[in-house]
Amino acid sequence: MITGFPVQAAPAETRNATSSVYIAPTLEAALDALSEYGAAGSAFAGGTWIMRSPIRHEPLRAHYVAIGKIAELGAVRIGSDVVEIGSAVTHATLAAALADLPEFGVLAAAAARSANPAIRAMATIGGNLATLDFAAADCVPALLCLDAEIEVAGRDGRERMKLEHFLEIRPTLAPGRLVTQIVVPRSERKTAHVRLPLRKAGDYPVAIVSLSASVDAAGRVRAARIAVGSVEPVARRWERLEAALIGRRLDAEGAARTATELANEFVGRDGVDAPAWYRVSVLPGLVRRAAAAALGA
Amino acid sequence: MGLSLTVNGDRLASAADPTTPLVDILREELHLTGAKPVCREGFCGACMVLIDGKPTPSCLMPAALADGCEIHTVEGLTTHGQLNRIQSALEASDAVQCGMCFPGMVVSLTHLLTTRPDATREDIRAALTGNICRCTGYERIVDATLLALATK
Repeated sequence: MITGFPVQAAPAETRNATSSVYIAPTLEAALDALSEYGAAGSAFAGGTWIMRSPIRHEPLRAHYVAIGKIAELGAVRIGSDVVEIGSAVTHATLAAALADLPEFGVLAAAAARSANPAIRAMATIGGNLATLDFAAADCVPALLCLDAEIEVAGRDGRERMKLEHFLEIRPTLAPGRLVTQIVVPRSERKTAHVRLPLRKAGDYPVAIVSLSASVDAAGRVRAARIAVGSVEPVARRWERLEAALIGRRLDAEGAARTATELANEFVGRDGVDAPAWYRVSVLPGLVRRAAAAALGA
Repeated sequence: MGLSLTVNGDRLASAADPTTPLVDILREELHLTGAKPVCREGFCGACMVLIDGKPTPSCLMPAALADGCEIHTVEGLTTHGQLNRIQSALEASDAVQCGMCFPGMVVSLTHLLTTRPDATREDIRAALTGNICRCTGYERIVDATLLALATK
């Protein structure tokens, strides 16, 4: 039998002595608990970011509400017009669910290539979206290029918004609010997700390019959405590059040349893994790879 | 609130804080030191255990969420002192590394053998991307895994 003597979990100075974890059985129960805890509480899904708080010298919250047992948050529903993804769906589950949908190749790749297998079985898509300081989250640019909408719920109801808007309001989201669902429209399109980690697996990507394009019978781009992650603190679309590709044949070298001309609009972020200038400088190469992958080359 | 953990088939109780990483309970309360808290980021794999059959970095698993789960550490992978199939193959192939990363490797590979009997060399490499070995002994480990897969 365990005697229950005190555990010395390192680094001890940033670990709370009395954190609580409430395993919510339903969404309503989770929202009630988050509302009651207010700023002292937080949702807990995969935990792959929260459990590393001590390493970042951030204290844990006093209260956590675990949402992993809530059935509706753990489901992927594939409809004829949209795909609905519960926020507690793990990367591994998401990659498997989308494996047979080529139009979602960008999101399947984002979910299937991040981190390592054990992390992918824990980390959730909602965690990728809701974590403020995680600039290298793979699913965020992938969802931006798929024109995803985010459902946020509170005890007073639910609202749905474009992902771009969610990313804007994310820092000021009131306590008690929870990302519950991601809704992605279905359409015919070519997509690709290209990431540059310093090692093949395990590292955060230095830069990410997610691309989605619909092309006409002659191979000319009718619509394009290109999103860049990890280069700046928050992922965003590359709208000037999108506009420049419209009406042209989608070809890898041409897209890379245009990306080179437009890359100076990005202000990279310095990090321990890569300096700011490097993140920007690799973007044209990633655009080339993304276009080639989208074309099936 | 007390925690109830089932570790290597034994049902146990702990009074640890619910956010305590499982690896700390395994090592410091249960003295199961096979799991190593090396990176504490889930990237090195030295703390890998099976939770409900899935390889899980125990540094990222809060004790509260392990409550009620079946936990298997490397110490629980033998049966009556007999090595399991991958352990035997690793030993036979001289693929045994130092004790830092290796318990986690054995845990990940035990899961692979259970779930992917048709795994290829590339599948094995992919499965081990969460287990970092600074001794760089991967080739023999992959060879041993192929041997274990071929041994029914």
